[in-house]
Amino acid sequence: MIRDVLMAKITKEEVIKIARMSALELPEHEIEPMMQRLEEVLTYAECVKQVAAEHEELQSNAAVNVFREDTVIPVDYRAILKRAPEQQDNFFVVPSIIDSSTSSES
Amino acid sequence: MKPFATIQELKQQLEAKKISAQELLSYYINRFKTYDNQIQSALEIFEQDSIQQASSAVGQLAGIPGIIKDNIAQNDRMLTCASRILQDFNVPYDATAIKRLKQVGAPLLGRANMDEFAMGSSTETSAFFKTRNPWNLEHVPGGSSGGSAAAVAAGLVPWALGSETGGSVRQPAAFCGIVGFKPTYGLISRYGLVAYGSSLDQIGIFAHTVYDVATICSVIAGHDERDSTSLSTAQKDYTQSLDGRLPDGLRIGVIKSALYAQGMDQEVIGAVEQTIAQYEKLGAKISYIDLPSLDYSAAAYFIISRAEAASNLARFDGIRYGARAVGAKNLKELYNKTRYEGFGDEVKARIMLGNYVLSAGHADEFYNNAKKVQRLIRAELASTFNDVDILLMPTHPAPAFKIGAFDKNKLQMDLQDYFTCPMNMSGNPALSLPCGMSKQGLPIGVQLIAPHVAEELMFKVAHAYQVVTDWHMQHPMNFK
Repeated sequence: MIRDVLMAKITKEEVIKIARMSALELPEHEIEPMMQRLEEVLTYAECVKQVAAEHEELQSNAAVNVFREDTVIPVDYRAILKRAPEQQDNFFVVPSIIDSSTSSES
Repeated sequence: MKPFATIQELKQQLEAKKISAQELLSYYINRFKTYDNQIQSALEIFEQDSIQQASSAVGQLAGIPGIIKDNIAQNDRMLTCASRILQDFNVPYDATAIKRLKQVGAPLLGRANMDEFAMGSSTETSAFFKTRNPWNLEHVPGGSSGGSAAAVAAGLVPWALGSETGGSVRQPAAFCGIVGFKPTYGLISRYGLVAYGSSLDQIGIFAHTVYDVATICSVIAGHDERDSTSLSTAQKDYTQSLDGRLPDGLRIGVIKSALYAQGMDQEVIGAVEQTIAQYEKLGAKISYIDLPSLDYSAAAYFIISRAEAASNLARFDGIRYGARAVGAKNLKELYNKTRYEGFGDEVKARIMLGNYVLSAGHADEFYNNAKKVQRLIRAELASTFNDVDILLMPTHPAPAFKIGAFDKNKLQMDLQDYFTCPMNMSGNPALSLPCGMSKQGLPIGVQLIAPHVAEELMFKVAHAYQVVTDWHMQHPMNFK
Protein backbone atom coordinates (compact mmCIF):
# COMPACT_ATOMS: atom_id res chain seq x y z
CA MET A 1 0.00 0.00 0.00
CA ILE A 2 1.22 3.48 -0.73
CA ARG A 3 0.79 4.35 2.95
CA ASP A 4 3.33 1.71 3.92
CA VAL A 5 5.79 3.02 1.40
CA LEU A 6 5.39 6.55 2.73
CA MET A 7 5.57 5.41 6.35
CA ALA A 8 8.97 4.01 5.71
CA LYS A 9 10.16 7.50 4.88
CA ILE A 10 9.83 8.99 8.37
CA THR A 11 11.94 7.33 11.00
CA LYS A 12 11.89 7.59 14.76
CA GLU A 13 15.35 9.15 14.63
CA GLU A 14 14.11 11.83 12.29
CA VAL A 15 11.19 12.68 14.57
CA ILE A 16 13.55 13.05 17.51
CA LYS A 17 15.83 15.25 15.45
CA ILE A 18 12.93 17.48 14.38
CA ALA A 19 11.79 17.80 17.97
CA ARG A 20 15.26 18.98 18.91
CA MET A 21 15.20 21.51 16.05
CA SER A 22 11.79 22.66 17.21
CA ALA A 23 12.97 23.05 20.82
CA LEU A 24 10.15 20.83 21.95
CA GLU A 25 10.26 18.09 24.52
CA LEU A 26 9.00 14.82 23.06
CA PRO A 27 8.13 12.13 25.60
CA GLU A 28 8.55 8.55 24.41
CA HIS A 29 4.82 7.85 24.18
CA GLU A 30 4.29 10.83 21.89
CA ILE A 31 6.85 9.81 19.28
CA GLU A 32 4.64 7.34 17.42
CA PRO A 33 1.59 9.66 17.14
CA MET A 34 3.92 12.46 16.01
CA MET A 35 5.39 10.20 13.32
CA GLN A 36 1.88 9.71 12.00
CA ARG A 37 1.19 13.44 11.98
CA LEU A 38 4.41 14.14 10.10
CA GLU A 39 3.46 11.50 7.61
CA GLU A 40 0.51 13.69 6.49
CA VAL A 41 2.89 16.02 4.77
CA LEU A 42 4.28 13.32 2.52
CA THR A 43 1.14 13.12 0.38
CA TYR A 44 1.15 16.89 0.03
CA ALA A 45 4.84 16.82 -0.78
CA GLU A 46 4.28 14.31 -3.56
CA CYS A 47 1.59 16.57 -4.97
CA VAL A 48 3.71 19.72 -5.12
CA LYS A 49 6.70 17.77 -6.41
CA GLN A 50 4.62 16.49 -9.31
CA VAL A 51 3.13 19.88 -10.13
CA ALA A 52 6.52 21.60 -9.93
CA ALA A 53 7.96 18.96 -12.24
CA GLU A 54 5.16 19.50 -14.74
CA HIS A 55 5.93 23.20 -14.86
CA GLU A 56 9.68 23.32 -15.28
CA GLU A 57 9.64 27.00 -16.16
CA LEU A 58 8.56 27.88 -12.61
CA GLN A 59 11.06 29.52 -10.36
CA SER A 60 10.76 30.06 -6.65
CA ASN A 61 9.37 33.45 -5.69
CA ALA A 62 11.90 36.17 -6.36
CA ALA A 63 12.20 38.12 -3.13
CA VAL A 64 12.05 41.89 -3.36
CA ASN A 65 13.66 43.71 -0.49
CA VAL A 66 11.91 46.73 0.96
CA PHE A 67 14.26 49.06 2.77
CA ARG A 68 13.76 51.85 5.22
CA GLU A 69 16.08 54.37 6.82
CA ASP A 70 17.93 52.99 9.81
CA THR A 71 16.47 55.45 12.25
CA VAL A 72 15.86 54.49 15.85
CA ILE A 73 12.39 54.93 17.28
CA PRO A 74 12.96 54.90 21.03
CA VAL A 75 10.91 52.49 23.06
CA ASP A 76 10.52 52.51 26.81
CA TYR A 77 12.60 49.50 27.77
CA ARG A 78 10.91 49.36 31.14
CA ALA A 79 7.60 48.53 29.49
CA ILE A 80 9.28 45.57 27.85
CA LEU A 81 11.21 44.37 30.90
CA LYS A 82 8.05 44.61 32.96
CA ARG A 83 6.63 41.84 30.80
CA ALA A 84 9.63 39.55 31.16
CA PRO A 85 9.28 36.29 33.12
CA GLU A 86 12.37 37.23 35.14
CA GLN A 87 14.36 40.42 35.00
CA GLN A 88 17.04 42.25 36.95
CA ASP A 89 18.36 45.75 36.39
CA ASN A 90 18.36 46.09 32.61
CA PHE A 91 18.58 42.41 31.89
CA PHE A 92 16.43 39.41 31.15
CA VAL A 93 17.42 36.70 33.62
CA VAL A 94 17.98 33.22 32.16
CA PRO A 95 19.31 29.95 33.51
CA SER A 96 22.89 29.04 32.75
CA ILE A 97 23.60 28.34 29.12
CA ILE A 98 26.01 25.56 29.82
CA ASP A 99 25.32 23.42 32.82
CA SER A 100 28.38 21.39 33.70
CA SER A 101 26.42 18.68 35.50
CA THR A 102 24.56 17.54 32.36
CA SER A 103 26.16 16.18 29.20
CA SER A 104 26.28 18.73 26.45
CA GLU A 105 24.36 18.09 23.26
CA SER A 106 24.40 19.96 19.99
CA MET B 1 -32.39 49.09 20.11
CA LYS B 2 -31.99 46.34 17.59
CA PRO B 3 -29.10 43.99 18.42
CA PHE B 4 -28.37 43.36 14.77
CA ALA B 5 -28.21 46.99 13.69
CA THR B 6 -25.59 47.70 11.08
CA ILE B 7 -22.84 50.29 11.48
CA GLN B 8 -24.71 52.42 8.94
CA GLU B 9 -27.92 52.28 10.99
CA LEU B 10 -26.12 52.97 14.25
CA LYS B 11 -24.37 56.00 12.79
CA GLN B 12 -27.75 57.39 11.73
CA GLN B 13 -29.15 56.85 15.20
CA LEU B 14 -26.17 58.51 16.84
CA GLU B 15 -26.33 61.48 14.47
CA ALA B 16 -30.04 61.87 15.08
CA LYS B 17 -29.26 61.82 18.78
CA LYS B 18 -31.69 58.94 19.30
CA ILE B 19 -29.00 57.26 21.38
CA SER B 20 -25.69 58.32 22.90
CA ALA B 21 -22.31 56.67 22.36
CA GLN B 22 -22.22 55.73 26.00
CA GLU B 23 -25.66 54.11 25.87
CA LEU B 24 -24.65 52.16 22.81
CA LEU B 25 -21.51 50.87 24.46
CA SER B 26 -23.45 49.85 27.59
CA TYR B 27 -25.99 48.13 25.41
CA TYR B 28 -23.44 45.90 23.70
CA ILE B 29 -21.47 45.17 26.85
CA ASN B 30 -24.76 44.06 28.33
CA ARG B 31 -25.48 41.87 25.31
CA PHE B 32 -22.22 40.02 26.02
CA LYS B 33 -23.04 39.70 29.71
CA THR B 34 -26.45 38.28 28.90
CA TYR B 35 -25.76 36.03 25.94
CA ASP B 36 -22.08 35.20 25.64
CA ASN B 37 -22.24 32.39 28.20
CA GLN B 38 -24.06 30.42 25.51
CA ILE B 39 -21.50 30.82 22.76
CA GLN B 40 -18.35 31.94 24.62
CA SER B 41 -17.13 34.15 21.81
CA ALA B 42 -15.07 36.46 24.02
CA LEU B 43 -11.92 35.76 26.00
CA GLU B 44 -12.44 39.07 27.77
CA ILE B 45 -14.79 42.01 27.70
CA PHE B 46 -13.11 45.15 28.99
CA GLU B 47 -14.45 47.56 31.61
CA GLN B 48 -16.60 50.29 30.06
CA ASP B 49 -14.45 53.13 31.46
CA SER B 50 -11.25 51.72 30.06
CA ILE B 51 -12.90 51.20 26.66
CA GLN B 52 -13.99 54.82 26.50
CA GLN B 53 -10.60 56.01 27.68
CA ALA B 54 -8.73 54.01 25.04
CA SER B 55 -10.93 55.33 22.21
CA SER B 56 -11.75 58.84 23.34
CA ALA B 57 -11.35 60.46 19.92
CA VAL B 58 -14.40 61.84 18.22
CA GLY B 59 -14.49 60.34 14.75
CA GLN B 60 -16.54 58.45 12.22
CA LEU B 61 -16.71 55.27 14.31
CA ALA B 62 -17.28 56.93 17.68
CA GLY B 63 -19.77 54.88 19.63
CA ILE B 64 -19.71 51.88 17.29
CA PRO B 65 -18.02 49.06 19.20
CA GLY B 66 -16.18 46.10 17.77
CA ILE B 67 -14.39 43.06 19.15
CA ILE B 68 -10.85 42.13 18.19
CA LYS B 69 -9.41 38.66 17.58
CA ASP B 70 -6.87 37.96 20.29
CA ASN B 71 -3.87 37.88 17.97
CA ILE B 72 -4.08 41.60 17.21
CA ALA B 73 -2.27 43.85 19.69
CA GLN B 74 -4.32 46.31 21.74
CA ASN B 75 -2.05 48.44 23.93
CA ASP B 76 -2.00 47.49 27.61
CA ARG B 77 -4.48 44.67 27.09
CA MET B 78 -3.76 40.97 27.21
CA LEU B 79 -2.69 39.28 23.98
CA THR B 80 -2.91 35.52 24.34
CA CYS B 81 -3.53 34.07 20.85
CA ALA B 82 -5.70 31.67 22.89
CA SER B 83 -2.52 29.96 24.05
CA ARG B 84 -1.21 29.06 27.49
CA ILE B 85 2.22 30.28 26.45
CA LEU B 86 0.83 33.83 26.35
CA GLN B 87 -1.97 33.47 28.87
CA ASP B 88 -0.63 36.22 31.15
CA PHE B 89 0.94 38.39 28.47
CA ASN B 90 0.05 42.08 28.37
CA VAL B 91 1.07 43.82 25.16
CA PRO B 92 2.71 47.28 25.29
CA TYR B 93 1.66 48.64 21.91
CA ASP B 94 -1.20 48.97 19.43
CA ALA B 95 -1.33 47.21 16.09
CA THR B 96 -1.56 49.75 13.27
CA ALA B 97 -5.14 48.64 12.53
CA ILE B 98 -6.00 49.23 16.19
CA LYS B 99 -4.30 52.62 16.24
CA ARG B 100 -6.33 53.71 13.20
CA LEU B 101 -9.58 52.47 14.74
CA LYS B 102 -8.87 54.37 17.94
CA GLN B 103 -8.09 57.50 15.93
CA VAL B 104 -11.68 57.53 14.65
CA GLY B 105 -13.09 56.81 18.08
CA ALA B 106 -14.07 53.18 17.61
CA PRO B 107 -14.62 51.60 21.03
CA LEU B 108 -12.85 48.25 21.26
CA LEU B 109 -14.92 46.02 23.45
CA GLY B 110 -12.70 43.05 24.11
CA ARG B 111 -10.70 40.08 22.87
CA ALA B 112 -12.31 37.43 20.73
CA ASN B 113 -11.62 33.71 21.09
CA MET B 114 -9.76 31.88 18.34
CA ASP B 115 -7.98 28.65 17.49
CA GLU B 116 -4.62 28.66 19.27
CA PHE B 117 -2.20 30.82 17.26
CA ALA B 118 -4.80 30.84 14.49
CA MET B 119 -4.11 27.18 13.75
CA GLY B 120 -7.44 25.61 13.05
CA SER B 121 -10.76 25.87 11.25
CA SER B 122 -13.20 25.52 14.12
CA THR B 123 -12.02 27.46 17.19
CA GLU B 124 -11.78 24.08 18.91
CA THR B 125 -8.06 24.35 19.62
CA SER B 126 -8.27 27.43 21.82
CA ALA B 127 -6.43 26.61 25.05
CA PHE B 128 -9.25 28.19 27.03
CA PHE B 129 -12.61 27.08 25.70
CA LYS B 130 -14.51 26.36 22.51
CA THR B 131 -16.77 28.93 20.91
CA ARG B 132 -20.16 27.76 19.69
CA ASN B 133 -22.11 28.64 16.60
CA PRO B 134 -25.04 30.93 17.56
CA TRP B 135 -27.21 29.20 14.94
CA ASN B 136 -26.78 25.84 16.64
CA LEU B 137 -24.79 25.55 19.82
CA GLU B 138 -23.67 22.02 19.03
CA HIS B 139 -21.92 23.19 15.90
CA VAL B 140 -18.65 25.03 15.42
CA PRO B 141 -18.58 28.68 14.39
CA GLY B 142 -15.67 27.93 12.08
CA GLY B 143 -12.15 29.15 12.63
CA SER B 144 -9.68 30.30 13.41
CA SER B 145 -11.56 33.61 13.86
CA GLY B 146 -14.60 31.84 15.33
CA GLY B 147 -15.01 34.14 18.32
CA SER B 148 -15.15 37.25 16.15
CA ALA B 149 -17.64 35.67 13.75
CA ALA B 150 -19.89 34.27 16.48
CA ALA B 151 -20.00 37.59 18.35
CA VAL B 152 -21.18 39.50 15.28
CA ALA B 153 -23.60 36.75 14.22
CA ALA B 154 -25.20 36.72 17.68
CA GLY B 155 -25.64 40.49 17.62
CA LEU B 156 -23.25 41.04 20.51
CA VAL B 157 -21.28 43.60 18.52
CA PRO B 158 -21.80 45.11 15.01
CA TRP B 159 -18.31 44.43 13.65
CA ALA B 160 -15.16 42.53 14.46
CA LEU B 161 -11.61 42.02 13.28
CA GLY B 162 -10.24 38.60 12.54
CA SER B 163 -7.26 37.30 10.62
CA GLU B 164 -6.67 34.96 7.72
CA THR B 165 -3.85 32.66 6.79
CA GLY B 166 -5.86 30.00 4.92
CA GLY B 167 -9.46 31.19 5.15
CA SER B 168 -9.93 31.95 8.82
CA VAL B 169 -12.26 34.90 8.21
CA ARG B 170 -14.24 33.75 5.18
CA GLN B 171 -15.01 30.27 6.46
CA PRO B 172 -16.34 31.33 9.89
CA ALA B 173 -18.26 34.15 8.21
CA ALA B 174 -19.95 31.57 5.98
CA PHE B 175 -20.63 29.22 8.91
CA CYS B 176 -22.14 32.08 10.93
CA GLY B 177 -24.16 33.82 8.21
CA ILE B 178 -22.28 37.12 8.03
CA VAL B 179 -19.90 38.91 5.70
CA GLY B 180 -16.20 38.07 6.04
CA PHE B 181 -13.53 39.90 4.06
CA LYS B 182 -9.88 39.11 3.33
CA PRO B 183 -7.98 41.99 1.73
CA THR B 184 -5.34 41.89 -0.97
CA TYR B 185 -2.13 40.74 0.69
CA GLY B 186 -0.42 43.88 1.93
CA LEU B 187 -3.49 46.13 1.92
CA ILE B 188 -4.01 46.03 5.67
CA SER B 189 -0.89 46.35 7.82
CA ARG B 190 0.31 43.26 9.66
CA TYR B 191 2.13 45.35 12.27
CA GLY B 192 0.73 44.12 15.56
CA LEU B 193 -0.80 40.94 14.11
CA VAL B 194 0.94 37.97 15.69
CA ALA B 195 2.63 36.21 12.78
CA TYR B 196 1.59 32.70 11.76
CA GLY B 197 2.35 32.47 8.01
CA SER B 198 3.94 35.78 7.13
CA SER B 199 3.50 35.47 3.37
CA LEU B 200 -0.18 34.60 3.86
CA ASP B 201 -1.45 36.47 6.95
CA GLN B 202 -3.88 39.37 6.67
CA ILE B 203 -6.23 41.05 9.08
CA GLY B 204 -9.84 40.54 7.97
CA ILE B 205 -13.19 42.16 8.77
CA PHE B 206 -16.57 40.78 9.89
CA ALA B 207 -19.91 42.60 9.72
CA HIS B 208 -23.52 42.01 8.67
CA THR B 209 -23.21 43.96 5.45
CA VAL B 210 -20.68 44.67 2.74
CA TYR B 211 -21.24 48.38 3.28
CA ASP B 212 -20.17 48.00 6.91
CA VAL B 213 -17.10 45.98 5.93
CA ALA B 214 -16.15 48.69 3.45
CA THR B 215 -16.57 51.27 6.23
CA ILE B 216 -14.10 49.48 8.49
CA CYS B 217 -11.74 48.84 5.58
CA SER B 218 -11.67 52.57 4.87
CA VAL B 219 -10.34 53.11 8.39
CA ILE B 220 -7.69 50.41 8.65
CA ALA B 221 -6.42 49.76 5.12
CA GLY B 222 -3.59 51.62 3.45
CA HIS B 223 0.16 51.87 3.47
CA ASP B 224 2.02 51.45 6.76
CA GLU B 225 5.76 51.99 6.97
CA ARG B 226 5.96 49.66 9.93
CA ASP B 227 5.05 46.69 7.70
CA SER B 228 7.58 46.05 4.97
CA THR B 229 5.04 43.96 3.07
CA SER B 230 2.52 46.79 3.10
CA LEU B 231 1.32 47.95 -0.32
CA SER B 232 1.79 51.57 -1.32
CA THR B 233 -2.01 52.01 -1.62
CA ALA B 234 -3.16 55.08 0.26
CA GLN B 235 -6.07 55.07 2.70
CA LYS B 236 -9.35 55.70 0.90
CA ASP B 237 -13.11 55.60 1.24
CA TYR B 238 -14.29 52.19 0.06
CA THR B 239 -17.99 53.03 0.44
CA GLN B 240 -18.05 55.65 -2.30
CA SER B 241 -18.69 53.25 -5.17
CA LEU B 242 -21.48 51.37 -3.39
CA ASP B 243 -24.57 52.53 -5.23
CA GLY B 244 -26.30 49.14 -5.31
CA ARG B 245 -25.66 48.60 -9.02
CA LEU B 246 -23.35 46.24 -10.81
CA PRO B 247 -20.80 47.74 -13.20
CA ASP B 248 -22.05 47.60 -16.80
CA GLY B 249 -21.18 44.40 -18.58
CA LEU B 250 -19.78 42.76 -15.46
CA ARG B 251 -18.38 39.32 -16.25
CA ILE B 252 -18.56 36.80 -13.44
CA GLY B 253 -16.57 33.58 -13.72
CA VAL B 254 -18.05 30.71 -11.73
CA ILE B 255 -15.44 28.14 -10.77
CA LYS B 256 -17.36 25.04 -11.67
CA SER B 257 -14.64 22.65 -10.54
CA ALA B 258 -15.29 23.96 -7.04
CA LEU B 259 -19.07 24.25 -7.20
CA TYR B 260 -19.49 20.71 -8.47
CA ALA B 261 -16.55 19.14 -6.66
CA GLN B 262 -16.97 15.67 -5.29
CA GLY B 263 -18.49 15.67 -1.83
CA MET B 264 -20.15 19.08 -2.10
CA ASP B 265 -23.25 19.44 0.05
CA GLN B 266 -26.32 19.60 -2.20
CA GLU B 267 -27.83 22.50 -0.30
CA VAL B 268 -24.63 24.53 -0.70
CA ILE B 269 -24.71 23.87 -4.43
CA GLY B 270 -28.35 24.94 -4.53
CA ALA B 271 -27.71 28.18 -2.64
CA VAL B 272 -24.75 29.11 -4.83
CA GLU B 273 -26.72 28.34 -7.99
CA GLN B 274 -29.43 30.69 -6.77
CA THR B 275 -26.81 33.35 -6.16
CA ILE B 276 -25.61 32.98 -9.73
CA ALA B 277 -29.18 33.32 -10.98
CA GLN B 278 -29.58 36.44 -8.89
CA TYR B 279 -26.47 37.99 -10.42
CA GLU B 280 -27.76 37.13 -13.87
CA LYS B 281 -30.97 38.99 -13.06
CA LEU B 282 -28.88 41.95 -11.99
CA GLY B 283 -27.27 42.01 -15.43
CA ALA B 284 -24.01 40.11 -14.99
CA LYS B 285 -22.65 37.88 -17.73
CA ILE B 286 -21.95 34.46 -16.27
CA SER B 287 -19.35 32.04 -17.56
CA TYR B 288 -18.17 28.77 -16.10
CA ILE B 289 -14.46 28.13 -15.75
CA ASP B 290 -12.10 25.67 -14.20
CA LEU B 291 -9.36 26.54 -11.78
CA PRO B 292 -6.72 23.80 -11.82
CA SER B 293 -4.99 25.56 -8.90
CA LEU B 294 -7.65 24.14 -6.61
CA ASP B 295 -6.18 20.70 -7.04
CA TYR B 296 -2.84 21.62 -5.57
CA SER B 297 -3.42 24.77 -3.51
CA ALA B 298 -4.13 22.86 -0.32
CA ALA B 299 -0.93 20.86 -0.62
CA ALA B 300 1.26 23.89 -1.28
CA TYR B 301 -0.56 25.90 1.39
CA PHE B 302 -0.07 23.13 3.92
CA ILE B 303 3.67 23.07 3.39
CA ILE B 304 4.25 26.83 3.22
CA SER B 305 2.05 27.69 6.19
CA ARG B 306 3.61 25.08 8.45
CA ALA B 307 7.13 26.11 7.43
CA GLU B 308 6.47 29.78 8.11
CA ALA B 309 4.69 28.94 11.36
CA ALA B 310 7.68 26.96 12.63
CA SER B 311 9.86 29.98 11.98
CA ASN B 312 7.45 32.49 13.46
CA LEU B 313 6.76 30.56 16.62
CA ALA B 314 10.44 30.10 17.41
CA ARG B 315 10.29 33.43 19.26
CA PHE B 316 8.18 31.90 22.04
CA ASP B 317 10.97 30.63 24.20
CA GLY B 318 10.20 31.77 27.73
CA ILE B 319 12.97 34.35 27.72
CA ARG B 320 11.61 37.82 27.07
CA TYR B 321 7.83 37.46 27.41
CA GLY B 322 5.12 34.92 27.93
CA ALA B 323 5.16 31.83 30.10
CA ARG B 324 8.36 30.27 31.36
CA ALA B 325 8.60 26.67 32.58
CA VAL B 326 9.60 26.05 36.13
CA GLY B 327 12.45 23.81 37.17
CA ALA B 328 14.60 23.84 34.05
CA LYS B 329 18.25 23.04 34.83
CA ASN B 330 19.69 24.86 31.86
CA LEU B 331 18.70 27.09 28.97
CA LYS B 332 18.01 24.31 26.50
CA GLU B 333 15.74 22.57 28.94
CA LEU B 334 13.99 25.88 29.55
CA TYR B 335 13.20 26.25 25.87
CA ASN B 336 12.02 22.67 25.44
CA LYS B 337 9.91 22.56 28.56
CA THR B 338 8.39 26.03 28.13
CA ARG B 339 7.31 25.29 24.60
CA TYR B 340 6.13 21.75 25.33
CA GLU B 341 3.97 22.93 28.21
CA GLY B 342 2.89 26.22 26.66
CA PHE B 343 1.81 25.12 23.19
CA GLY B 344 -1.24 22.94 22.53
CA ASP B 345 -1.04 19.71 20.53
CA GLU B 346 -2.07 21.20 17.19
CA VAL B 347 0.47 24.00 17.47
CA LYS B 348 3.26 21.58 18.39
CA ALA B 349 2.38 19.32 15.49
CA ARG B 350 2.46 22.21 13.01
CA ILE B 351 5.81 23.42 14.31
CA MET B 352 7.21 19.93 13.87
CA LEU B 353 5.72 19.69 10.37
CA GLY B 354 7.15 23.06 9.48
CA ASN B 355 10.64 22.26 10.65
CA TYR B 356 10.43 18.94 8.88
CA VAL B 357 9.68 20.50 5.51
CA LEU B 358 12.46 23.02 6.01
CA SER B 359 15.10 20.61 7.22
CA ALA B 360 18.19 19.78 5.20
CA GLY B 361 17.44 17.12 2.69
CA HIS B 362 13.79 18.08 2.54
CA ALA B 363 13.72 21.84 1.94
CA ASP B 364 14.18 21.50 -1.81
CA GLU B 365 11.67 18.75 -2.26
CA PHE B 366 9.03 20.18 0.02
CA TYR B 367 9.34 23.88 0.70
CA ASN B 368 10.96 25.08 -2.53
CA ASN B 369 8.58 23.08 -4.66
CA ALA B 370 5.66 24.48 -2.70
CA LYS B 371 6.90 28.02 -3.35
CA LYS B 372 7.11 27.25 -7.06
CA VAL B 373 3.56 25.97 -7.00
CA GLN B 374 2.51 29.16 -5.19
CA ARG B 375 3.83 31.10 -8.18
CA LEU B 376 1.75 28.93 -10.48
CA ILE B 377 -1.39 29.53 -8.42
CA ARG B 378 -0.80 33.26 -8.46
CA ALA B 379 -0.29 33.26 -12.23
CA GLU B 380 -3.33 31.07 -12.85
CA LEU B 381 -5.60 33.28 -10.80
CA ALA B 382 -4.26 36.37 -12.53
CA SER B 383 -4.90 34.87 -15.95
CA THR B 384 -8.55 34.08 -15.18
CA PHE B 385 -9.07 37.82 -14.88
CA ASN B 386 -8.21 38.22 -18.55
CA ASP B 387 -11.65 36.87 -19.39
CA VAL B 388 -13.74 37.74 -16.33
CA ASP B 389 -13.92 40.56 -13.81
CA ILE B 390 -14.88 38.65 -10.67
CA LEU B 391 -14.72 35.00 -9.67
CA LEU B 392 -17.48 33.25 -7.78
CA MET B 393 -17.36 29.96 -5.92
CA PRO B 394 -18.58 28.36 -2.69
CA THR B 395 -16.78 29.35 0.50
CA HIS B 396 -17.17 25.92 2.05
CA PRO B 397 -18.13 22.38 1.00
CA ALA B 398 -20.83 22.01 3.66
CA PRO B 399 -22.43 24.03 6.47
CA ALA B 400 -20.89 24.21 9.95
CA PHE B 401 -19.98 20.77 11.28
CA LYS B 402 -20.59 19.50 14.80
CA ILE B 403 -18.12 20.23 17.58
CA GLY B 404 -15.75 17.29 17.76
CA ALA B 405 -16.64 15.95 14.31
CA PHE B 406 -13.06 15.98 13.07
CA ASP B 407 -11.26 15.22 16.31
CA LYS B 408 -9.95 11.99 14.87
CA ASN B 409 -9.74 13.13 11.29
CA LYS B 410 -7.10 15.79 10.79
CA LEU B 411 -7.16 15.35 7.04
CA GLN B 412 -10.85 16.19 6.89
CA MET B 413 -10.23 19.24 9.05
CA ASP B 414 -7.40 20.35 6.75
CA LEU B 415 -9.81 20.20 3.80
CA GLN B 416 -11.86 23.00 5.34
CA ASP B 417 -9.27 25.33 3.86
CA TYR B 418 -9.70 23.88 0.39
CA PHE B 419 -11.81 26.66 -1.13
CA THR B 420 -10.22 29.52 0.70
CA CYS B 421 -6.47 28.92 0.85
CA PRO B 422 -5.77 29.52 -2.87
CA MET B 423 -6.50 33.23 -2.38
CA ASN B 424 -4.21 33.44 0.61
CA MET B 425 -1.51 31.87 -1.53
CA SER B 426 -2.09 34.19 -4.45
CA GLY B 427 -2.77 37.32 -2.38
CA ASN B 428 -6.06 38.08 -4.15
CA PRO B 429 -8.80 39.80 -2.15
CA ALA B 430 -11.84 37.65 -1.36
CA LEU B 431 -15.07 37.95 0.52
CA SER B 432 -17.76 35.56 1.75
CA LEU B 433 -21.38 36.62 1.92
CA PRO B 434 -24.42 34.82 3.28
CA CYS B 435 -26.46 33.36 0.42
CA GLY B 436 -28.66 30.70 1.91
CA MET B 437 -29.67 28.55 4.82
CA SER B 438 -29.65 24.78 5.11
CA LYS B 439 -32.80 22.91 6.08
CA GLN B 440 -31.09 22.26 9.40
CA GLY B 441 -30.96 26.02 9.93
CA LEU B 442 -27.26 26.56 9.29
CA PRO B 443 -25.98 29.41 7.11
CA ILE B 444 -24.43 28.98 3.68
CA GLY B 445 -21.88 31.38 2.23
CA VAL B 446 -20.69 32.20 -1.26
CA GLN B 447 -17.33 33.63 -2.14
CA LEU B 448 -16.32 36.44 -4.48
CA ILE B 449 -12.72 36.85 -5.55
CA ALA B 450 -11.23 39.89 -7.28
CA PRO B 451 -7.94 40.86 -8.89
CA HIS B 452 -5.27 42.40 -6.68
CA VAL B 453 -6.28 45.73 -5.11
CA ALA B 454 -9.69 45.55 -6.78
CA GLU B 455 -11.50 45.79 -3.43
CA GLU B 456 -13.77 48.58 -4.67
CA LEU B 457 -15.04 46.40 -7.50
CA MET B 458 -15.50 43.42 -5.22
CA PHE B 459 -17.40 45.44 -2.62
CA LYS B 460 -19.59 46.92 -5.34
CA VAL B 461 -20.51 43.52 -6.74
CA ALA B 462 -21.13 42.04 -3.29
CA HIS B 463 -23.15 45.04 -2.11
CA ALA B 464 -25.43 44.89 -5.14
CA TYR B 465 -26.42 41.36 -4.13
CA GLN B 466 -27.33 42.45 -0.61
CA VAL B 467 -29.56 45.21 -1.91
CA VAL B 468 -31.86 42.64 -3.57
CA THR B 469 -31.61 39.75 -1.11
CA ASP B 470 -32.10 39.43 2.63
CA TRP B 471 -29.90 36.52 3.74
CA HIS B 472 -27.78 38.99 5.66
CA MET B 473 -30.86 40.02 7.63
CA GLN B 474 -31.50 36.53 8.98
CA HIS B 475 -30.43 36.16 12.57
CA PRO B 476 -30.25 33.24 15.02
CA MET B 477 -33.51 32.85 16.96
CA ASN B 478 -32.05 32.54 20.44
CA PHE B 479 -30.23 35.83 20.24
CA LYS B 480 -33.00 38.09 18.98
